[in-house]
Amino acid sequence: MQVSTAFGQFQTIVNADPSSVAEARRRRNLFRDALQPLRDVVSVIPSGSLARATQLDPIHDVDLLVEFVPAEHPEWGSPGGSADDALTYLAGQVMRTLGATSGTVANEVRLTSKRNHVVKCFLDDPEAEDPFAVEVAVALRQSDGSLLLPERYNSRWITADPEYLISQVAGRQQTWSDFVPLVRVLKWWRTNSAGLDMKSLAMEVLALRCLPVQNTRAAALAQFFTAAATEVMYGVFDPAGHCGEIQPDLDRDATRSKLLEAAELANEALDAETAQDADKAVALWTQLFGAEFPQPSGQQSAAKPASAVAATLIAPRRRIRDIPQG
Amino acid sequence: MAVSSADRLAGIVGVGERDTLMFPTALNLPAGHPLNVADIEPRSGIWHRGDPALQTAWLDCRMRSAVLSTDGFRRLVTDGWINPPANRARFTLIYTPGETPGYSAWWVGQQEAQPADLEVSGRPDLGWAQLEPGWPVNVLRAMRVAVIGVGSIGAAAAEVLAGYGIGTLALVDPDRLLSHNLIRHPLTARDLGRTKVAGLADHLRRTWPETAVEPLALDAVVDADRIRPMLKECALVVCAADGVTPRRVVSHLARHARIPAVLACVLEDGEIGEVLRLQPWPSRGCLTCQREHLAGSGGFDPEPALDAPYGLGSDDRPMTAVAGDLHLVGTLAAKSAVATLLERAGHHDQILPGDHLLLALRPRTDLPPPADLRRTGDQRWLQVGPPVPGCPTCDPDTGPR
Repeated sequence: MQVSTAFGQFQTIVNADPSSVAEARRRRNLFRDALQPLRDVVSVIPSGSLARATQLDPIHDVDLLVEFVPAEHPEWGSPGGSADDALTYLAGQVMRTLGATSGTVANEVRLTSKRNHVVKCFLDDPEAEDPFAVEVAVALRQSDGSLLLPERYNSRWITADPEYLISQVAGRQQTWSDFVPLVRVLKWWRTNSAGLDMKSLAMEVLALRCLPVQNTRAAALAQFFTAAATEVMYGVFDPAGHCGEIQPDLDRDATRSKLLEAAELANEALDAETAQDADKAVALWTQLFGAEFPQPSGQQSAAKPASAVAATLIAPRRRIRDIPQG
Repeated sequence: MAVSSADRLAGIVGVGERDTLMFPTALNLPAGHPLNVADIEPRSGIWHRGDPALQTAWLDCRMRSAVLSTDGFRRLVTDGWINPPANRARFTLIYTPGETPGYSAWWVGQQEAQPADLEVSGRPDLGWAQLEPGWPVNVLRAMRVAVIGVGSIGAAAAEVLAGYGIGTLALVDPDRLLSHNLIRHPLTARDLGRTKVAGLADHLRRTWPETAVEPLALDAVVDADRIRPMLKECALVVCAADGVTPRRVVSHLARHARIPAVLACVLEDGEIGEVLRLQPWPSRGCLTCQREHLAGSGGFDPEPALDAPYGLGSDDRPMTAVAGDLHLVGTLAAKSAVATLLERAGHHDQILPGDHLLLALRPRTDLPPPADLRRTGDQRWLQVGPPVPGCPTCDPDTGPR
């Protein structure tokens, strides 16, 4: 099996189920259609991984920003109780328009719950395992284009610009159509790597900094893991420059160690591919991503991928050709 | 042609028809080149339009040290054949537009045509671009690196950094080039009395014209307030300054600028070379911390508050390190610096084995660990330890996160 074929197959495993994506978008649009017409709303802005197309399966939630007309709520944006008030107001508007029993637009939201920055709106049974929720935030546009968002626990409003990351990711995707799919692959690796305690958003920002446009997905990933192992030591910060370090408690050394391990395997795989040993390359990618990555040719039904990998790695090493260059 | 017989070298300085010069041309060679003062010999060669097979034959003859018969050569000349003189071979240039190679040169006698070495000068495609795609030219071209201290080690490092393709070098050193420096420094008496940064900047501009050079005759300690903002515009700093204090200052400033520092020196009067990479990471210490770790292990004395004496080249302090060793350490410092930049850009083949290199240059048998290297050329890579509690450079309350 060629490496590109293996990556193609793996991508289908990583990608969220299309029907789940469609349902998530339907629910997102439901909120947009219900809230957008309100007289004090400027716009409803998709946010989060669904807006960046970097979502993984299963999709647990969808993020939306509701930008309000500042003149309609002059008390908002100042420190104090207005942060909580704004979220309470938004929760009320959601239930008024979409509440399960008395919604004026639809009857889909069973429960709302105020969190630090958002109102979490449950469309599934809140008691169910991993219920689906739409997370809606209040936003006020500032003169520089950034947004003010309520921070309820600290009774204040903070500046943020989530649209910046969305636009950066979209721009990179326009340059290279494999960019966003590979961000999903990296998020999948993050989720499935034991001992890696890194936030999903931190990985996305790291990908924005370190995932280069390359000829192949394999080459891009190999370069990413090496670069990210250094970059993470400097800390991963809000790319828009407003919110500081994304995960201040991240164990940078442990994360670097994991990224370096992956870099070793990825670059060994790249060398194997250069040496036209596709089976060895695929086996090394399998070692990196785990058994859900396709197996090398002839080992499709291998019950124990680890032993299959070991068997493949006994290939003879490259010999030095005596062709001196002075 | 301009002909330098001593160098067996000729340059075409004009093309004409018989005795009429129609296209004079300039060789644009640098001052001091022998062809600039060579005799001009009119009608010393001939220019033919030829069959592309003649160019292939030129490559083939050069590879096999072979010649063509003059009859065979003549059959491949498209038009305008003129018999060579009886008493000497005639220089002949063949031009075939659109072919590779487009030019070939021959010495054509009455019996045989011998291929000549040929160089087409002034080609615009011969800069760093030649190294692509095997070398990440564009990554390094975008980098600005500071070199603080451009004595024997720092100047060698700067030259190597330019050779790797660093786009901009900021050179920092207040000293002037003195006679006693010449035995070790890459610069020559041509720059005697000038500041080292000015002389080195001119030298680098001549040698590596694609690197922008910024000479700054500043002292790392006295002018720290000016160096501090400059480092924030740099991707990395190489420090090869003499003495303890400026190295500590650079270590401190680099950490607060959140850039790596590569410190290079020789220790024990040139017995040991040292290249120390300091990363501005919370889990890695600064120069003072690393020295304290080494002092704690018993192998190093604590860094003194005042610089210890070492060979300065004055009458009472003779030189103790030799140019080749100093340049080797400078080269290793430059390699470490470039590797650091490229690792961050994702180049896995540039990961260093550690942050702290000790290199035996003239090892004695009684050096303690970790410098107990027995054979010249032996290397030991160490890791840099964590910050020492209370370090004013590394303390997270005052230092970077």
